[in-house]
Amino acid sequence: MDIRELKQQSDLSYDTAVAKRNALEKAHARQVLAYDGHLFRADPQTICLVRTLKEKNGKFFVLDTNSNPVEIKDADDFLNKLIERNQEALNTYHQMYETFTRKGE
Amino acid sequence: MSQGVLLFCFDTEHTRYHRILERCVRLVKKNISRNITVVTNFDTFRKMSPMGFVNYKFIEPELGNKLNGKAWNNVDRHMAYELSPYDTTLVMDIDYFCFSDNLKNLFDTEYDFLVPDTAHDLSGRNTFDQRRWSMIPMVWATILLFKKNNKVRKIFDTVKYIKDNYSYFTEMYRIYARNLRNDYLFAMALQQINGFMGYEKMPFALPTLPPDCEVVEITDEGLVWQYNDQISYVQDQDVHVLNKEIANV
Repeated sequence: MDIRELKQQSDLSYDTAVAKRNALEKAHARQVLAYDGHLFRADPQTICLVRTLKEKNGKFFVLDTNSNPVEIKDADDFLNKLIERNQEALNTYHQMYETFTRKGE
Repeated sequence: MSQGVLLFCFDTEHTRYHRILERCVRLVKKNISRNITVVTNFDTFRKMSPMGFVNYKFIEPELGNKLNGKAWNNVDRHMAYELSPYDTTLVMDIDYFCFSDNLKNLFDTEYDFLVPDTAHDLSGRNTFDQRRWSMIPMVWATILLFKKNNKVRKIFDTVKYIKDNYSYFTEMYRIYARNLRNDYLFAMALQQINGFMGYEKMPFALPTLPPDCEVVEITDEGLVWQYNDQISYVQDQDVHVLNKEIANV
């Protein structure tokens, strides 16, 4: 590998890393979900918490993104919406990730 | 309960902000689907292309503020509360392009006042670590969501008070920037009115393109920019563009 090829590869890796970081940030922003007047993040922690609490009780309390307590009255509906939003965001991220992978080949 | 988007737009000698507004309005209509009110002056209004159903409020902008030596008519944000005809208002800078419908979420919430406190540098250089420039946690007044009620009116009253005594407060908070920035104005007001404690924030970082990135192409889905010899793009992701040359793209 000569210096020119090294620079080319380095530039490509940098571009890919920045694009990946932006795509991940986009996924994070997309995971924000409004439910019952509050904002939640449809991330693995929230999904696992809601699923765990749902097993014990039909109604329970969780914290929104600003640490305000919210009573969840319809756990199934909330969980479905969280999973739907989480997978929508990650599906888009996955599509973008595939293009990065192809770029490096 | 009425909901809508409030935009401020004033052309200057150097920048045709109405061109940026036209793109912004198109994206708001497409992705946010709420009523729009544009606060402008008659000189700027005359140059605007027809944008369909948009409300207008005419004021004369307060002059004197500068950005990089050029006129920067951004001082009127403190009047958003009085100027908004809506119960719930999303105030946006016109250089914030909503290529996604993420902001729509915010209208379905009960929060009185929301503002983002972090920005994501799309060029990958983390250039927005504003803590280096002041001793106050920064907010990004690029987008604000507020409801009309007594609590929020007091927030805007505080913003006005700090604006009237801006040099005193910038000295007190050791703010490096000498020009008036709404980001600092709201950061100081929120800290003061909330008893120097925390306040509610938007749970995402504002995707921002630094001023040294040149936008080379823009569509209704996203934009392409150049930084040195690198070309990058975003699609279906909101972007706050700091390079005012976007008016010419």
